[in-house]
Amino acid sequence: MKFTFFPGCVSRGGAPELYQSTVAVAEKIGIELEEIEGWSCTGAGALQESNPLLGDTLNARNFALAQRMGLPIMTICSTCQGVMAQAKVKLEDEEYRAEINEILATEGLEYTGGIEVKHMLWIMVEDIGLDKIKSLAVRSLDGVFLAPFYGCYIVRPSAALEYDEHPQRKVALELVIKALGATAVDNDGKTRCCGFPILTINEKNSLAMVAKHTGEAQDLGADAMVTPCPLCHLNLDGFQAKAAKQMGKQINVPILHLPQVIGAALGMDGPSLGLNKHIISAFDVAMKMGVRV
Amino acid sequence: MQANVNVRRFNPDEEAPKSYNQEYQVEVDENFTVLDTLIKVREEIDGSLALRCSCRASICGSCAVRVNGHAVLACKTHVSEHLSEDDSVSIEPAGNLPVIKDLVVDLNPFWDKIRAVEPYMQPSLPEPEAEYLAPNDVMLHLVDVMGCIMCGACVSDCTVLEVDKNFLGPAALAKAYRFVADTRDVEDDKRLRMYNAYGGMWDCTRCGECVTACPKGVAPMERIMALREKAMEAKIPTGSYDGAAYGYRHSQVFEDIISHSGRLDETKLVIKTLGLFNIPKMLGLVPVAMNAAFRRKMPPLLHPAVPGVGQIRRIAARISANKRKAAK
Amino acid sequence: MYSHDVLVLGAGLAGMRAALEAAKSGANVAMLSKVYPVRSHSNAAQGGINAALTDRGDDWTDHAYDTVKGSDFLGDQDAIEVMCREAGQELINLEHMGVIFNRDEEGHLGTRAFGGQRKARTFFVADITGQAILHVMFEQILKYNVRVYDEWYATNLIMDGNRCGGVVAMEMRTGEVHAIQAKATILATGGSGRVFEPSTNALICSGDGMSLAYRAGAPLMDMEMVQYHPTTLKGSGVLLTEGARGEGAFLINNKGERFMEKYAPNMMELASRDVVSRAETTEIEAGFGIDGCVLLDCRHLGAAKIMERLSYIHEVSMDLVGVDITKDPVPIRPGVHYQMGGIKTDIDGRCWDPSGGWKGVEGLFAAGETACVSVHGGNRLGANSLLDTVIFGRRSAIGAMEYANKNNHLDFSESDWVNSEKAKMQGFLDNDDSGDLVAKLRMDMAVAMDKGLGVYRTEDDMQEALTAVQGMRERYKKVVVQDKGKSFNTNLIFAMELGCMLDCAEAIAIGGIERKESRGAHSRTDYTTRDDENWMKHILLRKGAGDEVTKEYMPIVVTQWQPEERKY
Repeated sequence: MKFTFFPGCVSRGGAPELYQSTVAVAEKIGIELEEIEGWSCTGAGALQESNPLLGDTLNARNFALAQRMGLPIMTICSTCQGVMAQAKVKLEDEEYRAEINEILATEGLEYTGGIEVKHMLWIMVEDIGLDKIKSLAVRSLDGVFLAPFYGCYIVRPSAALEYDEHPQRKVALELVIKALGATAVDNDGKTRCCGFPILTINEKNSLAMVAKHTGEAQDLGADAMVTPCPLCHLNLDGFQAKAAKQMGKQINVPILHLPQVIGAALGMDGPSLGLNKHIISAFDVAMKMGVRV
Repeated sequence: MQANVNVRRFNPDEEAPKSYNQEYQVEVDENFTVLDTLIKVREEIDGSLALRCSCRASICGSCAVRVNGHAVLACKTHVSEHLSEDDSVSIEPAGNLPVIKDLVVDLNPFWDKIRAVEPYMQPSLPEPEAEYLAPNDVMLHLVDVMGCIMCGACVSDCTVLEVDKNFLGPAALAKAYRFVADTRDVEDDKRLRMYNAYGGMWDCTRCGECVTACPKGVAPMERIMALREKAMEAKIPTGSYDGAAYGYRHSQVFEDIISHSGRLDETKLVIKTLGLFNIPKMLGLVPVAMNAAFRRKMPPLLHPAVPGVGQIRRIAARISANKRKAAK
Repeated sequence: MYSHDVLVLGAGLAGMRAALEAAKSGANVAMLSKVYPVRSHSNAAQGGINAALTDRGDDWTDHAYDTVKGSDFLGDQDAIEVMCREAGQELINLEHMGVIFNRDEEGHLGTRAFGGQRKARTFFVADITGQAILHVMFEQILKYNVRVYDEWYATNLIMDGNRCGGVVAMEMRTGEVHAIQAKATILATGGSGRVFEPSTNALICSGDGMSLAYRAGAPLMDMEMVQYHPTTLKGSGVLLTEGARGEGAFLINNKGERFMEKYAPNMMELASRDVVSRAETTEIEAGFGIDGCVLLDCRHLGAAKIMERLSYIHEVSMDLVGVDITKDPVPIRPGVHYQMGGIKTDIDGRCWDPSGGWKGVEGLFAAGETACVSVHGGNRLGANSLLDTVIFGRRSAIGAMEYANKNNHLDFSESDWVNSEKAKMQGFLDNDDSGDLVAKLRMDMAVAMDKGLGVYRTEDDMQEALTAVQGMRERYKKVVVQDKGKSFNTNLIFAMELGCMLDCAEAIAIGGIERKESRGAHSRTDYTTRDDENWMKHILLRKGAGDEVTKEYMPIVVTQWQPEERKY
């Protein structure tokens, strides 16, 4: 199984452990990844605010580069996934695509439409299959309580994300968590906003969201939260202490990237999954998962 | 088929009122809406169940409730599509508003926010003898926004309102956009200044809940984004709200960084958004940065250039050149 | 005690237009409504609003003639002239308030064709014209800071002799009952469509205002004139706009024929509503229907036009019967839609005649569907109802302010009125559970009315319906209200609404039996033709102290159009 790989800015910047664990897990499962040479940021929704045309053109460029390689794209970030899915829908309009291709043409690029873009989470459920993951697991995560946290862009708008065609996407995180033997801790916050986009604009509200979701997960007895979105990770992990302080509550919930949890079940060790790189220590949950830290 | 309808109830007449769940077994058919189901409960089983409803055809906006945790318009939602494996469905009052009784919520906070955006057209005066002229495509665009029936589904599921009751919220801001986008209204400058304030357009997190919840395709979040674009384009002063200033800069810096280096550089983004000399705000970030450094995950200070970055710069330059041309 | 110069009951278009006019003039005005203003049923008017603009080569007299002919010569021509003459200015007023309206290429207001009219003079906002105007009117209400008693339910008019001095109403949230004093009271409470099942009308359309005025001594006029709309959805009976046919949609039977050729060869699908509804019924009864319906076919309009101009009916067809109108014809049938009759008023909304020509209630005004001016006569033209609301809403406010300036508040005992209303409510709450549930009784009434007063009527059928409805009065006294609480007791309100509906149902049946001819929407198989010799007159019903009803007649006002044969 082979994909073109779109790692996204954050896994190449602030969350190197996501990149590292993705590559390790993919290799173990037998997913061949070929990184798109010269990929750019998707715009992350922010660029779409100030310059939607540039945003769509950069996505079309990424799609065109991937199309040259003749493979579907794998993403590892809810935000990248969502923004690309929305761009894809807009670029299905032939008139608009032609307008954008005109800009790309001078660079010798053309996007012909119909690219497939899939988050690693969906690939686990839809392409690899839960049975295969189960069969590859060498450790059961039995007794480990993991609270799923999706990230807005992989949940909404559900039409662009093709939820109707793939209804299991709605519960993909829970399915993977359960397949690994762990218990999925259902929480109200799981499809809500982590607060990251307004971190600089209204830090108080952003932190209130962090505290609300991490606090809820903690109250429900979660050992950790699991997210397919490195931006959620950034906020929930990096700002958890500050958020807890603002709320006046003790909160200490490690935030894990999806491939880190899969890797744990596949028998990998802490350093190779980057479990030591979180701001909220993942030591206890790593121990509980039987991972050598 | 029989549905087990779990309704969240609340009776303010009790001495110490407390919300509780009540299950009703209701015979429903394939085409039954959630509203049909609730009306059946009210009319045939339990007349004390309170809910608002009127038109039955998604135009009056009375019947927004939460079905299985998400806001919907009851008359537009088929109950069969929301039944769990054991044929249950949960129905609760809309969120983010105080409950009066059962599924009836207090909409005063909702109307207060609508009022706060000066929700009426302010055209140039004196009025012409005939109609104000307006391009049809502008009017058609406004039809989509005017489609708002003020049901409050977006407000119910807004993630910002959950943590901050001062946020104007999606319905009021979509209403605000309706006037900014109306070529007959001449108070854009005043309006955008007003909506730039604390609790206004910049406090939206872009989570998309309101777009999903809206039964009429108004897509409030997109209207909020359009407000931001208009405010930035018109270089409306950000006033006393730092958040708006950060919002402007974040957007601009983001665009600059991507246009220049193709990928996001978080260090630059944060420093430039907050301003290089914004010492108090920077100090606030120090503990996080120290912690990150300790975990050896500080983003690289010198971002390696993306292969093909020249291509990206040329594309960005071409788009802004085209924009300048179009503006002329 | 709450006190206002002008109090408007109902906050739909007629009510808000009245309140706005009063507020702009600086009057002490308030609105009271059982729902928030934007929930009102004016929302559901889809297709548009008529006005003849002279700069478009149209003439208000043409509009007036079409309206007179549409009314089957039952409309009062002085009132129709007022409405059509003022339409242009009022349309421009709406635009100036902010209504968006579809435009032509130069940015002027654009029009679409509508039924029963020889010119395209219907101005529109896609197929949500009512909603678009209602919400803009609400914006104006907010702009002028009009006091609104949101979610208050009026249960009685405060009367002294034949003078009205305000209302008694329940604040739904608390269940508290209050008197509100007013020098002039305007009823703008909408129609009575819920008297029938099925109906296009919202659940709130229970004829409250008609009943309140009727009980207080005001006459109801031409109540038998109930409009059946030709295109209501199978099942729920929800409305699909006439605008669809205005844009060119066809009506077809089970053989795929455009059957209107047989009934209205010139106007085809755009004949008057009564004509089209009868044609459909005839087709269905002759076995050319499909499961009790015929089909509305929009396919040839193309998806782009449908999504631009008919997107709302596309949405409800998908939601309620699962039909995509861009791909398939949708099953429709005639359904109860509009009450042409109502509280008798003059052209300034007065429910009494200052010159003493007819007896009514002084200090009381009415506008919109609840009133009968009469501009619609035996059959209302599509897109004349929105017009009616704004024209007569505004005029009734002017009349009410004038009255309020000349008269003092009525002197009455607040506690007496409040206590007597409370006692009535307590009566319902005290009923044991041996009687009928409110919904059951309403359904029995509505089904009886549907059966007896359908598109085609006979003496026997109408009599049967009347006997059934009158028989329900005893059951109504014992009706079961399960909710015994104070706060937001919708069960109790439903019970009180049912009382209003029974009044309206009875008046409709009595009027129907009385009018021994076929005119407009009132089509009898035992009196098949229009009888201008004996029936060029209105029927007024008056409620006595008990349950007895007396009938009176008034001549139709004819100014320039003598009755003629009506062909489309």
